[in-house]
Order: sequence, then C-alpha cells, then structure tokens
Amino acid sequence: MRDRTLQYVLLIPAFLIVLATTLYPLGFSLATAFLDWDLRKSPRPGEFVGLDNFGHAVTESGFQNSLWVTTIFVVISVVLTVVLAMALALLLRRTGGLHTFTRIILILPFAMSPALIGVSYRFMFNPEFGVLAKGAAAIFPALEGTPWLANPDLAMGILIATDVWHWTPYMTFMCLGGLASVPRETEEAARMDGASTLRIIWEIVLPQMKGVIAVAAVLKTIFALKMFDQVVTLTGGGPGSSTETLAFFIHKVGFKWFDMGYASALAWILTIIMMAISIWYVRLIITDKKMATA
Amino acid sequence: MSKTVLWWLERLLLLVVSTIVLFPIAWMFLTAFKTPIDAYSVSLVFTPTLQNFVTVFSDPWNLGSMVMNSVIVAGVTVLISVPCASLAAYAFSRFKMRGRKFLFFLVLSTQFIPAIVIVLPFFLMFRQLGLLDTRIALIIVNLAIVTPFVIWMIKGFIDAIPRDSEEAAMIDGASRLRVIKDIVMPMAAPGILTSSIFCFILTWNEFLFSLILTRRDAVTLPIGLVNFRTERGDLWELMSAAGVMITVPIFIMALLIQKHFTRGMTAGAVK
Repeated sequence: MRDRTLQYVLLIPAFLIVLATTLYPLGFSLATAFLDWDLRKSPRPGEFVGLDNFGHAVTESGFQNSLWVTTIFVVISVVLTVVLAMALALLLRRTGGLHTFTRIILILPFAMSPALIGVSYRFMFNPEFGVLAKGAAAIFPALEGTPWLANPDLAMGILIATDVWHWTPYMTFMCLGGLASVPRETEEAARMDGASTLRIIWEIVLPQMKGVIAVAAVLKTIFALKMFDQVVTLTGGGPGSSTETLAFFIHKVGFKWFDMGYASALAWILTIIMMAISIWYVRLIITDKKMATA
Repeated sequence: MSKTVLWWLERLLLLVVSTIVLFPIAWMFLTAFKTPIDAYSVSLVFTPTLQNFVTVFSDPWNLGSMVMNSVIVAGVTVLISVPCASLAAYAFSRFKMRGRKFLFFLVLSTQFIPAIVIVLPFFLMFRQLGLLDTRIALIIVNLAIVTPFVIWMIKGFIDAIPRDSEEAAMIDGASRLRVIKDIVMPMAAPGILTSSIFCFILTWNEFLFSLILTRRDAVTLPIGLVNFRTERGDLWELMSAAGVMITVPIFIMALLIQKHFTRGMTAGAVK
C-alpha cells in the first residue's frame, strides 16, 4: 500500500472509536439539551424547548450553588497542588536515599482509586473512631468531638485535601521534568558569588519554571473542574449542598431528578468551560516547546 | 543557617512528606486486618485476622464477581484501545498528512471532555438497547476516555524512536507495514506496555460510568466500596479489605513500571 493511503488507513480504527464513543454522544447530548425530557414522565423525549434548559440554569439555585462550590474548590486545590508540587520538586531535585524513596512512593497516591481515597479520608475523619479526628483531638483537646464532615467548611477542606493528596505527586513529577531542563550554570555562578539558596531559587530557578508552572496549573484546573468521585464517597455533596460540585450536581439532576434535558444543558455548560480552558492549555504547550520533558 | 541544619531540615521535610503520602494507605491496610471491634479503635496493637477478606468474598458481598468485572472491563478496554491507538500514534508521528493538525487537536481535546457529558447520552442509548448493567456497556464508555489518552502517550514514545533504521529498511525494499511490524513496534514495545498499564489503571479506577451504568451484574470494584455503607452504618473493616483488593494489583503495576510511569505521565501531559 502507498503511504498516502496507508496514513489514513492507520487512523481509521482509532478515529472510529473516538467518533462512536465521544463525538456521537456529544452531539446526542447537545440535541437533548434543547428538549424537554423528563424520564419520570415518559421514557421518550418530549418536545423541543429551545434554550429553556439553558435559561433555567441562569436562575436555578442548585446550579448557582454548584458553580460557586466548584469555583472555590478549583481555586484552592489548584493553588495548593501547584505550590506544594513545585516545593516538593525542588526538595527532590537532589539525590539521596530518602529522596529516591520519596520519589518511588509518590507514585502510590496517583495510582489509587479516587473513590477509595474519599472512603479512606471519610474513615480517618470519623469523629468517634477516625484516626485523624482522634489524633487532632489528642494534640488540641478543643477539637474533641469536632463533626469534621458535618461542618460545611471543614467538609470542603477535607475534600480539597483528598484532591491535593491525589494530584500533588503527578504535578511534582511534571515540575521535576521541568527542573531537569533548567541549565545549572547560572545557578552555579550565583552560588560562587555567595547568593543564598532561597535567593537562587526565587530569582533564578523559578522564573525559568514559569512555563511548566503555567501548564501544571491549567492541567490541574481541567481535572479539578471534573471533581466527582470523592464527592460521592467522602461527603455525598453535603452537609446540605455545600460540596456539590458541578459534575456532582449534573449527576443529581440526571439520575435523581431524571431531568435529562436540563442535565444535558448543564453538562454542555461544563464542557464549554473545559474546552475553553483546554484550548488555552494546548496553545500553551504548543507555544512553549521547552515544555517537552520526556 | 548553617549547612548541617539545612541538611537535617531537608531530611525532616522528606520524612514528613513520606508520612503524609503513606499514612492513609497504611491505615487502610491495617484496618483490613482488624476485627470489627478493633477497627473502631485507633489502637495499633491488635491480633490480625484474615476474616474480613473471607467475608467480602462471600454472600452477600461477593467481591469475587466484582473483581471479575473489573478485570474483564479493564482488560478488554486495553486490548481494543491500545492496538488501535498504536497505529494512529504511528501515523501521527511519521506522516504529515492533510488535516493532521486538526485531527490531532481533535484527539487531544476529547481527552478533556467531562465524562458526565458522555455518560448521559450513553445511559439513554443503553437503556433503549437493553445494555444497562452489562460489561459491554462499560467497555464502550471507557474506550471514550482511554483511547485519546493512549494515542497521545504512545505517540510520545514513537517520536523518541530514531527514523534511521526504518529508512534503511525501506531503501532495502521492505514495505511500510513490514517496517511498522518488525522495526517500530518492537522498539516501541516498552512504551506500549507502559501505556497499556496506564490505560488499565485508568479503567480499573473508573467510578462515574460504573455508578451510572451498572446495578448488580456488571458492578466493578470502586462501586463495590459504596455497598459497604449499610443501614447499620459504614462497615469500615470490610471497606478496607475491599480497598486492599482494589489497590494491591494497581500498586504492583505502578511500581513495576515506575521509571516509565513517571515519564509516561509527563509525556502524556506535557508533550
């Protein structure tokens, strides 16, 4: 076969998969977003309602709440993850037994099922017999009996903690990759001139890491926007609706209220937000070729 | 600050980090071997028991069938997506065909589509087709998430293979397909294996699809965890035992490909 034909033939199987499993359902849900389709009333799609489902989103309090919850979650978890990952990467840059050990075990949180992470944090923060709840009370007696997951702010804090625990390792590896490509000469020269380690990091290393940090932050934002698994297994969206992220709320609309039209409209709003950020991300990595760490 | 203080501070910080990383995992493993009574105390001294593992594999929990479902769903997803993705990755890596940029951008961006927007229509379709609560349904939906990701990863590995030997073989009269089969694929094998394991881990840990598309027969392990929430409260020792069952195979895989794992992760994300 000639290369000209072959190049497309090689793409066909994968393209068919993407077409059938992603593009087709995307179109399907976009179409559903313009329908009145309540599964409790009828298994068949109802009539065309134009932009009603989207209009509903503008005023509906559940959606407003989930937007707010998601924003807080994304901002705090992205900032914490990226800052911690960068700090950890600087710490792990050198060699040593403990360094190697830490690098190896850092793989574990990322390989762990997010649903299970939620379950295990729920267990550790149980006020009666959770090891972290008990530990905190032993150190600070005032915390005895704190209903960790029954307090909206604390529940959000723990949700963020599970996500930071899960993602910091991945981002650390990314930062380590970036650090490996920073030339050492300027650093050495500054050290010879007697500059302190902190100043070298702040004025020489970090400015060169700007690109990597930007990529890490955007990538983390994309993943944080999808937050779902731990919400189900850790807080169930509660207390009240204080940890109902967008993905969780859409799931609730679709599979508790069975309002397929509204759920599809909300899912598309989330998709558009994520696509906008993804395009930004792709442009970031295309413009900054230095990023290629592998 | 003096050098020795810094030296010790660095070790201390690393120790703290390691503890934070390992503690939740270690606590789950300990709890899995505790009796129900011990599980409700924070004591480190207890007589270990294997009873929890016996319990989760027998009625009414039947973790065995969930293990089967998870293995089959993740395994078949890998077997379908990795070969298709490898071919596509080669094409993206070596040919400058028309529309390449557009197609690649399409693949790249589907990776970032939220799973919930895909699963809603699939739920409606599978309901119509009577495919709810089947492994086939799960495999189809998982392909959506995994395939773009694997194309991306394997392309990174193929890009890193020098073209010289390919070109030499072609000059000697070997066909392109032969070159792919006999030269490129063997050289890319470690990368393809890494990507396969990655893909397996992603599917194995997948939660949302399974939550929506399965009820009883096709339930996978992460959903099994939710079953241990009963009217009597959460059965932590059984949840932990199930957690160990979910975690151990994945940890072994992750550690086996440790070096490639971190490389693959960053390749997929950054390259």
